[in-house]
Parts: sequence; C-alpha cells; structure tokens
Amino acid sequence: MRKIAVLTVVAFSVAMFFSSLAFAARKTIIKIGINAPLTGDIPKVGEGTKYAAQMWLEDIEKAGGLEVGGKKYDVELVIEDNESKAESAVKANTKMISQDDVLAIIGPQSSKQAVPAGEVANKYKTVMISPWSTNPDTTLDRPYVFRGCFLDPFQGPVVANFITDEFGFTKAAVLYDVASDYPKGLAEVFKDAWEAKHGEGSVVAYESFTTKDTDFSSQLTKIVKSGAQVLFTPQYYNEVPLIVRQAKDLGWEGPIVGSDSWGSAELVELCGEACHGLFFSSHYAAAGAKGDTKAFIDRYEKTYGYTPDDVAALTWDSLQLAQQAIQDAGKLTGRIEKDREAVRDALTRIENFDGITGKMTFTEEGDPIKCAVIVKINNQGEFEFYSSSCP
Amino acid sequence: MGIAKKFRQIFSTVPMLGWFLGILTAVLIEYYWGYDYISYYLGLPKIPVLFGALIMLKEPVMIPGALAYDLIVYVIPVLLVAKISSVFTNPGAALLEKLPLWLSAVIHLVCFYAILHLWAGINDYRVLVVKLTLVSIILTVSVNVINGYQGEFSCSHPGFMALGAYVSSILTLMLFTNDKIFGAALLPPGLGPFLFPLVLLAGGAAAAIGSLAVAIPSFRTRGDYLAIISLAFMFIVKSAIENLNIIGGARGMGGQPDLAPLPVIFFWTLLCIWVIHNFVTSILGKALNTVRDDEAAAESMTVKTRKTKMTAFMFGAFWAGIAGGLFAHVLTYINPGMFSINRLAEILAMVYFGGLNSIVGSIVGAVSINVLGEALRPLELFKWIIIPLILIFVMIFRPYGLISFTEINAKKLLEAKHKRQQGVSP
Repeated sequence: MRKIAVLTVVAFSVAMFFSSLAFAARKTIIKIGINAPLTGDIPKVGEGTKYAAQMWLEDIEKAGGLEVGGKKYDVELVIEDNESKAESAVKANTKMISQDDVLAIIGPQSSKQAVPAGEVANKYKTVMISPWSTNPDTTLDRPYVFRGCFLDPFQGPVVANFITDEFGFTKAAVLYDVASDYPKGLAEVFKDAWEAKHGEGSVVAYESFTTKDTDFSSQLTKIVKSGAQVLFTPQYYNEVPLIVRQAKDLGWEGPIVGSDSWGSAELVELCGEACHGLFFSSHYAAAGAKGDTKAFIDRYEKTYGYTPDDVAALTWDSLQLAQQAIQDAGKLTGRIEKDREAVRDALTRIENFDGITGKMTFTEEGDPIKCAVIVKINNQGEFEFYSSSCP
Repeated sequence: MGIAKKFRQIFSTVPMLGWFLGILTAVLIEYYWGYDYISYYLGLPKIPVLFGALIMLKEPVMIPGALAYDLIVYVIPVLLVAKISSVFTNPGAALLEKLPLWLSAVIHLVCFYAILHLWAGINDYRVLVVKLTLVSIILTVSVNVINGYQGEFSCSHPGFMALGAYVSSILTLMLFTNDKIFGAALLPPGLGPFLFPLVLLAGGAAAAIGSLAVAIPSFRTRGDYLAIISLAFMFIVKSAIENLNIIGGARGMGGQPDLAPLPVIFFWTLLCIWVIHNFVTSILGKALNTVRDDEAAAESMTVKTRKTKMTAFMFGAFWAGIAGGLFAHVLTYINPGMFSINRLAEILAMVYFGGLNSIVGSIVGAVSINVLGEALRPLELFKWIIIPLILIFVMIFRPYGLISFTEINAKKLLEAKHKRQQGVSP
C-alpha cells in the first residue's frame, strides 16, 4: 500500500510540473479543422490538403497570428484523417466540433464523405467549406455548409461547348465509372448538354465500367467502331492513363477530353507522352499562371517538390475564405457558438473574393459562382491554361 | 507479479454493484469538476475525451497531465469507492441474488446504461463513438453465429447490412420525411420513434430473405465454395444498388431522420445479445455446433442439417440487417461504397480478434477494434500498421481469438463477494 501511495505522490508532482509548462492552454485560440483523406483510397488528395493548410498556417504564424477586430489571436490547425470513409469523416467532424472547439472546418474533399460530414457541421452550426466536393447534396438546405468549387451541372456544358467550339465535332462518346458518384453524375450532365446542342443520339456511345476495372478494351472497341469524333471520360487520375493508352492501342485517333478529376500531379507521371496534347476542364492551370496563383505554385513546389494539383489550390482558397470570414466577423467573443454564427454570416456576405482559382461569390445555397478553365497538357507534360469559361 | 496478485486479493471482495458505484462516482466527478477544475489545473485544454489517448498521441507534452487526469478522475475514485462501498454493496448484491436472475440482470443493466449515458453525454463525440461501437457489437455477434457457431466462412455480411440499411432508410424516408425521391411524408413524423422498431424489423427481414439467395445454392457445398458465393453476393448487392438510380445509385441516400439515439441503440444491442445467446444455447444452437464439428455424424443423429444451417444463416443475416438499419440512421447517409470489401475486412477483424463461438468474445472484439481505431486516430498512417500487427499477434498466440469457446456466467458475475466465500474459491 505504501508503495502505491508514494508512486501516486510522485506521479502528481511530475504532472503538476509538466502542466505548468502547458498552462496558458485556455486563452482564446482560433482553431481551424482540416478533415482530409490522409489514408485510404486517395492519400494524394489528403496530402495536398494537408500541405496547403500547413502553408497557410505558416503565413499566419509569420504575421504573428490572425488579427480580428484589432486583436491578434493564435491560430491552430486540427488535422484529422477521415480514412476516405464516410463514418470516419462524420466522427472526425464530431470530434473537431465538440472536443477541439474549431471555429470552421475545411474538408472533406470527396462528396461521399462531404455529404454526411456536412450534416454534422450543419447540426452543430459550424461553418464547413468543402473545397472539392461537387455533389449538390453537400450544401443543399444546409446554411452552414459551403464549397470552394463549381458544380457538375456547370462543368458538363463547359466541356460540351469547348469541344463544339474548338473542334466543331458533332458526335461524341462517353466512357465512365458507373459505380462512382462523381464520374457518373458528370457523364450524365455532359450527355444532356451535348444532346441539347447536337440533337438526340449525338452521343453515339455511352459506355460504362466499374471501379477498379483495368481492362476497358470491350468498351473502347465499341467506342472506336461507333464513329465518335471525341471521347469524354470524367475519370480519376489513376484510371485515365489506362484508358488513354488502351484507346490508342485500339486505334482511337480523335481527342480525349476529361474533367477536373484529371488534374492531379500524378496524371502525367503515370501516363507519359500518351497524354500530351489532351484537354480537360479544371479549376486552375499551373503552367503559365500569374500573380498570386504563381506565387502559390512556386512556393508549394519549392517546399514539397511537386506542382500543386487543384485540390491543394482549392483548399488554399477555402482557407483564405475562412480567414476572411473570421476577420470580417468583427470580433471574437470567446463563446464558440456565437463566434461560429458570426463567421457564417460573414462568409455569406463575401463578394467577388479574389482566390487563386478565380473570383467567387456565394449563392444562397453556399455554392460559389466562378469560372472554369480548360487546360491543355502540353508537350512538357505541364498543365497549361488554354481558355476559360465563366457563368 | 506480487503487486498484481495483492491487487486482485484486495479487490476480490468487490461485487459488480460496487464497481458500478465506483465508476458512477468517477463519472460524476468528471461531470461536475472535470472541466472547470481538474482538467484546468492540469493544463489540459478540455476533458480528455477517450481517457486522454487522443491528446497524448497528438501532443506528448500533455502525457503527464492526461495520465494524472485519468488517475484523479478514474483510477483512484473507482478503486477507493469500490473497495470502501463493498461494506454495503455486498449485502445489496446478496439481496439482489434472492431475486430471479433475469430481474437482477435487468437492474444491473439499467445501472450500467445510466452510467454509460452520463459518461457519453459529457461529449457528443463520445456519444457517436459509443453508438457506432454498439452497432459493431450487433454486427460482430451476428457474424459469429455464422462464422463461429456454424463454422462456415461467410463473406456476405456487408451485403446483408446494405439490404437492411437501404430497406429501413427507404421506409423512414417514405413514411416520416418530406424527401425529394419519395415525396411528402405519408405519416406524421411524430410517429417515427414508435414505428422505428417495425422499420428496423423490415430491414432485418429483407436481409434474411436476401440471405436465402446465398443459402439455397451454396449449402450443398461447404468451406471455400460458400466463401466465394457469399463474396459474390456482396458484390451483387453493391452493384445492384449502384445501378438503381431511384434510390440514389452510387451517389447514396441521405436525410434519414435521426431516429437512433443512444438508448434505442443500446436496447437493440441488448436484445440482439439476449436473443442470440438464447439461440445458440437452444437445441437448435447445439445442433448447429454438431453440424460444424461433423456434418455426417450430426445427420445420422437425426439432426436436420440443411434446415439447421439455413435457419442459422438467415438468423445471422437478420441481425446484420438490423445493424445496417441502425447504422444508416446514426450516420443519416448511406452509399453502396460503404458496404464493400473494406467493411467486410473490418467485420472479420472484429470477430476473429474477439474470438469465435463466444458472445463475450464478439463484444470484446467489436469494442477493442472500435476503441483502438479511435484512440490511435492521431497516428494516421501508423494506425494501419499497429492494428494489423496486433491482429497478427492475436492470430499467432490465440488462433481462435482472445476469448473463444467460452461464455461468462452471469450469475457468478453478479453475485455478492463475501469474505467467507474466498476460502472456498480463491
């Protein structure tokens, strides 16, 4: 018994000593939550999110904190891994809101996590900005949920218009993953837009496959035989190289056009020369960027050794949005519920925000009105600005 | 070892009721003084949510503070109160012993729930973790019926869960909410909580009927073949839902009403454990074990093997459907991608970690995998190295799981621990 008593006393004194080091814990700190897929199916997306957030924090720390209403506050990032799973994203959001007292949340990136996580954020009245989620349900009827990117119903027509104006084609083929929500939705939107332009039946081949398929030869053979002039495939960067190579092997000679999911640093690495000269719609173009965008890209490249993809750029913009909303809120009361509400109100008031992925203004639903960019993969394998299209 | 032995000796006189009282004291201390005093003076930013595991891994400088918090709030009060109160909790337990066992068990469970509710209520994150853990318990116990008691290797549990989740979600969306797919609510939303059990049962029934699709063709075979057919079933369910645009397809289905608060889930978990316990200890359950050990011998001893297997399989699938329904209403969003190979790996990990052929084992497996998964969250990638490593070690040293082929005796667990009994059974 005496041993235990002595041990307890020693443990206490050690604890008291250490805790005095960490004492200033309870002053008002601005905490921003990051809900990112650091492990799971798309770790590269999580990495881009994390790096962009760390760069943002560096800036704030260099300025000595975030100034709100004439007072400087320390800023802290709470980075949580959502494992690319819906329930984990929900847990991460609940934890950040109820345990870490975050003022706003950036993320999750994919819609399948952003839709349920948005429900939590809205329930606890905490601002959440999903930089990359394109599913309308993410922000629908949720006053506290915003997003940093344009929606598919805008992107589909942009691509259809671009192909029509650029090449003058009238017959298109679509190849998409029926089991994945983003490609499927975008393929449908594109088909509608194309057929509205060129008449019923102008999408001559509408072929699908299932996630993790690697052999597309039967679908591509049909597409080649259908007499289509252009192939639209809104797939992710890991599938695009396979599709492009197999299409070329099977004798496809027309252009292949993609969507913002192509815009990853790894695309060209995996695809090589086969992808040079192809087009896709995106949020921003890295090569030939100017001003703030260029500064961001250069800094990111210098720190992390590769060109940031659109997720990183959108995350950066979302953080800037959150920062501006916090500053616009006027002052922080220290009572988290009140401050969260003030931040939300400030966010809805932001107009013509000048981000590195373009100017944006939020609609009533929390979706931004912003321009899309058509990117060309040039012969050095860089993503080059080609044209832009605004609503 | 000397300390551990002495420790056990000192606390061997504490009955279950005493431990409950100790834990209740700890939770009350946390509830009233945890935030304003204890965590404040220890320099912690807030009440450590999962016994400080998260904060310790994230900021090592907080380790002493978090440990001291655990000591002050949990360890010392629990041990002290449990020991001191054994003076009157022992007679209390003896009084309860005179009641029928079921009544005594119900009283204990009510106490347990009250404590759990109070503890979880301190933070909403705890509530969510407890809810999902309870759902995992239902899943694990139900898969144990098939993979443990029946001795088959079935991979279709995520499929059953998906059936239950989708059927119950469709029903609640159709009946109690104004949904964009199904239109206006057919019934007043106020009826939701009362009719929710029926909705869940419908989900379970759908899963049970779906399980026939696996059971009828595959029970002519054994072993690997069932694994393959059931795996195929899982993928069929997933692909079918992905291609059904009317229920959201790959986009998933959201907006379920929040009909699954903690007490509801706790009730269903208890019901599941109780029913499955009765099932596996019934004659049918014993028959199931004989089928597993030697099908030919069982057949010759007049066991209807085919019927037994079918019943057990459907029974397991039914509870998986219930778990799916609860899961959908906790998250208020489902998509077919959730019920895929990842989920299967998680379920199988829980059941083989905890132990085959044991309900207690399943509970231990579900709780430990869930709590580990949450507690190691700050480690990100390393979490996925540590958990599989633990699993591998369990498989090496205890091939059938931590607690397999044993059950806890409820009577012994709840009885009074008098001093004189000690001499009899040390």
